[in-house]
Amino acid sequence: MIRVGIPRALLYYQYYPMWKTFFEELGSQVVISPSTTQAMLSQGSSRVVADTCLPVKVFLGHVLSLVEKCDYIFIPAIRSVKRRVYNCSKFLGLPDMTKAVIPESPPILDIDIDINKGKRDLYQSIYQLGRHFTWNPFKVRQASIAAWQAHLDYQKLMSSHGLTPPQAIERMSGTLEATPKTHSSHSTSTRGAIALIGHPYLLYDEHINHRLIHRLEQAGYKVLTPEMLTAKGLETAIVRLAGSSYWTYEEEVVGAGGYYLGSGADGVIGIMTFGCGPDSLMMDMVRRQAARLRATPFMSLTLEEHTAEAGVVTRLEAFLDMIQSKKRRRAEVCV
Amino acid sequence: MRLGMPHMGNLYIPFKALFQRLSIDYVIPPVNNQRTLSLGVKHSPEGLCIPFKLTLGNLIEAAELGADTLLMPGGSGICRLGCYAKTQEEILRDLGYEVEMIQAGVSEQTLLGTLRMIKRLSNNVPWIKIISAFRFGLAKLSALDRIERVVQRVRPVERIKGTANKLFTKAIKAIDEANDYNTLKKVQVDYISQLNQVTKDNQVQPLIVGIIGEFYVLLEPFSSFDVESELGKLGVEVRRRLFLSEWTKFSLFPNLLGIDETDKIHKAAQPYLKRDVGGDGWESVGEKVLHTKEYDGIIHLAPFTCMPEIVAQNIMLTTKETIPVLTILCDEQMAKPGMLTRLEAFVDLLERKRRAQNNNRQRVTA
Repeated sequence: MIRVGIPRALLYYQYYPMWKTFFEELGSQVVISPSTTQAMLSQGSSRVVADTCLPVKVFLGHVLSLVEKCDYIFIPAIRSVKRRVYNCSKFLGLPDMTKAVIPESPPILDIDIDINKGKRDLYQSIYQLGRHFTWNPFKVRQASIAAWQAHLDYQKLMSSHGLTPPQAIERMSGTLEATPKTHSSHSTSTRGAIALIGHPYLLYDEHINHRLIHRLEQAGYKVLTPEMLTAKGLETAIVRLAGSSYWTYEEEVVGAGGYYLGSGADGVIGIMTFGCGPDSLMMDMVRRQAARLRATPFMSLTLEEHTAEAGVVTRLEAFLDMIQSKKRRRAEVCV
Repeated sequence: MRLGMPHMGNLYIPFKALFQRLSIDYVIPPVNNQRTLSLGVKHSPEGLCIPFKLTLGNLIEAAELGADTLLMPGGSGICRLGCYAKTQEEILRDLGYEVEMIQAGVSEQTLLGTLRMIKRLSNNVPWIKIISAFRFGLAKLSALDRIERVVQRVRPVERIKGTANKLFTKAIKAIDEANDYNTLKKVQVDYISQLNQVTKDNQVQPLIVGIIGEFYVLLEPFSSFDVESELGKLGVEVRRRLFLSEWTKFSLFPNLLGIDETDKIHKAAQPYLKRDVGGDGWESVGEKVLHTKEYDGIIHLAPFTCMPEIVAQNIMLTTKETIPVLTILCDEQMAKPGMLTRLEAFVDLLERKRRAQNNNRQRVTA
């Protein structure tokens, strides 16, 4: 059986169920890298120039951990998933860059996704990918229909049940108990709700963000994430803040930021990494909006490989203290 | 309406000619200086690149001079640059300037689109006037570039260092002042012959260094501490593919014969980078591969945190074709002495490499 490796980083959180279904329908076995560790990050960093951003270094660490464990590694080059909205250069160059800096990696399955080139081009790309496993175009078609269905189920699971991507992935693969503890049913979440905005590969990689979600829940807050919002809510927030989207995955930052600053959260925390091109502009838009509204407190956390856990904890505590004192003041005014 | 625009090298000269001919009210902000940079840095989000910060500084200075309509490149599918206009407009509004931003598309712009934009800006001047003004602007642009190419060749071999640069400054002024095609032609011929007559050291065979990288830092000497002149002082001849007149020729006009140097560059990059990564990343990789044999070394210029160039830099390090590459990242923290030290060390390395090659060749022939 052909083993296809998928690194647990970057777009994994958005598309894993879809990819997994596709490859399994075509009769191959999907191998996934373990959760991020410090060793993986250091190994990834050692391969690239220092300016490369943290998520890419983590990604390369995951690729390195898959070497010799699979026959192919799947790394798509996602250029655009919406008309005239493009992705960051790092995503476009990901397959080529990985090949250049990790020469020992198994052959890379790369596929170009560019909606602007039209449907025909997209279908051709998918067929080209399927060609590695079967000659039969109908089989590829069936696999891609099943994959798309899995993707829709995945998204629905997150938006309607309030699950985070890792929880939804676990639920779909059946490894989670029948009654999952969702954030909404969290009994200790009494002190308020904090919205986390940022790309899923930052929010749900506990090594990168120093277990931020866990810490917030421990402190008694309910955690809101971009995936819990509907596509429509995100879209209207983007239109309000930016006019039209410029980046693929702008919803996770500008959309969610705009939405939660307006309603539903006692505080918003934006998570970005140092040197991120798109986020440097998008987080600024959210920050600007927060400064104009002066309603919901906003904090932006910039992460990199030198970020110390103590620093993150201190800033988090200060932010939560501020929210509590604000709440108290408001209560006093009401009395 | 008073029009303002950011600087990029000598780009303001053709635009000035265009605005004058169409009697558009305009301001040219002061050329990039320390104040421009400080203003830009102060009001920019920290993670942005030097082109954003400098152009923001220019726009603020233009607004100070009374500009209310600002021209800024934009578009989609390039790099962050495409949405700079939007963010800069917000920053200017927050600073209290009531300005309107006009985005000049650089990715999907056609000749007709550009002319239409000019027509709108000029308050519906007849087409014939617009076309003639546009042509004159292009003529100034290509005159500037022709002279600059000669300057690049003279700099490393001139006896008295700095002569070519002095002549170039004078030539820029003369081109700026030229009001018709005849004067322009005369200025061009005159300065090129003057440059050719500069006393040269014919003994030296200058090292040849290719300059590649990101568009803005290549064309705006202020952002890279004028790396080309500094290399000239060290006796190095500089080759650069990117000239604005060439770029406009290929991006605005239909390419009838289908001959385009960038195709060749993309082809050279194919084995290492198969697709466009936005900005000039693809071209950087291709140029390195393509010119390995011709050049002695390559200087790769990129703004700090530039997304496409980081991808390019990572790939460039691993190509089969090996040639010394020095990557210089430009940002507001860069200091001139630091850059000069790196340049000197790089040039020393290239000289030593050439000596070693010559020795080898002598040994083979003997």
